Amino acid sequence: MDYIIQISGPMLEGARTTVLLFLIVILVSIPLGFLVTLMAKSVIKPLAWIAHTYIYVMRGTPLLLQLLFFCFGLPQIPVIGQYLVMDRFVAASLGFILNYGAYFAEIFRGGMLSIDKGQHEAAKVLGLSKWQTLRKVILAQMFRVALPAVANESISLVKDTALLYAVAVPELLNYAKTAVNRDFTVTPFVVAGVIYLLMTLVLTLFFKALEKRFKFE
Amino acid sequence: MSSMIEVNDLEKSFGNLDVLKKVSFNIAAGEAVAVIGPSGSGKSTMLRSLVHLEEVTGGSIVIQGKPLVENGKYVSGASIREITSSMGMVFQHFNLFPHLTVRGNLELAPRMLKRESVKEITARSRDLLSKVGLAEKADVYPAKLSGGQKQRVAIARALMLNPDILLFDEPTSALDPELTGEVLRVIRQLAEENMTMIVVTHEMNFARDVADRVIFMDNGEITESGTPSQIFDHPQQERTRVFLSKESRL
Repeated sequence: MDYIIQISGPMLEGARTTVLLFLIVILVSIPLGFLVTLMAKSVIKPLAWIAHTYIYVMRGTPLLLQLLFFCFGLPQIPVIGQYLVMDRFVAASLGFILNYGAYFAEIFRGGMLSIDKGQHEAAKVLGLSKWQTLRKVILAQMFRVALPAVANESISLVKDTALLYAVAVPELLNYAKTAVNRDFTVTPFVVAGVIYLLMTLVLTLFFKALEKRFKFE
Repeated sequence: MSSMIEVNDLEKSFGNLDVLKKVSFNIAAGEAVAVIGPSGSGKSTMLRSLVHLEEVTGGSIVIQGKPLVENGKYVSGASIREITSSMGMVFQHFNLFPHLTVRGNLELAPRMLKRESVKEITARSRDLLSKVGLAEKADVYPAKLSGGQKQRVAIARALMLNPDILLFDEPTSALDPELTGEVLRVIRQLAEENMTMIVVTHEMNFARDVADRVIFMDNGEITESGTPSQIFDHPQQERTRVFLSKESRL
């Protein structure tokens, strides 16, 4: 028991990095995903093309590869590489944001598809502009439909933060591994597992409450 | 009597398929017109083109003296909005906004358009909900309403913008038979108040009782029109007779 308390301090320190990364990525990638959804649906063809290519590349390659690319690949690019040396946490955040942005874009696109065209027609006949319709009619319904998938993706993100281990940014898993190697015991892995479970539990409860709040019944 | 709607030689085609073939009619102020005819005869397309929910390929539409379609082309976007704002529409599938309460459905558009104070808007939504018999449902979400109640909310929502003309696109076709009565009663009341309206419907008894005039459409054309008694009791065209005899057997 004493041992658990003793290692919990540094491990919670590591968990702070995990939570920080999680918050940065969620707060940036959800709006990014929404923007990309709108781009993908745009009548301006080059915009739609850029959005689709971006989604294809980010979804079609491993997240780990993307992280390695941003942390260690970018500085190797001839000429401009020297300007692309970033703090590894920043580089990794960027990788996560771009990756999750693509997934959120697809989730929101699915949400948009689920909205009956009668909703657009009713809004139009009531004299709402396209922008008013998007804001007041489409968005709320799209987020409601997308909510379970967003919850799922958020929980994946908590676990994916462990990939920081591969680019040597100290976080929860990193601290656990260090303790395991140092103290010849499996306990730190168990403690790390419990901390991850606590984080995903908070998220699960949060999204359950959101789903209930936006039931529209 | 002044013309609310004048449609001349309206045409719409997809490739070789002619959905509307030179459709022409006038609607006078205060007139209630029922449009009947077989499925796929172009009734709904004709109605929807009046509020730019369909593109057309020929002819003209004039709403209250203002051209909406000339030579098969809609006027510019801003004018479309201005001209069609005098028309309300009620859909077969209600198209209520599921994320808003009944009151929210009624008040969304007037609040966005900002033509009057919030106080006036809430007062009118209360009055209109009473009028359609749903005052106690103001804070309920559409998911909790029956089909008939949903359609009455949709009618109240259309009335919120004080339209001069109301268009009904098969307002009772998605309802269980025992729920059509409550919706038809509301439409009948509006007709008695001299609301100008076009009702695309399969309810022959309703068309006969409520309409001032009945238009029969078949295969993209208006083949016959007249008073209810002319159409139902003395149809001149064979196609009208065949259609009515089929309908009466249902």
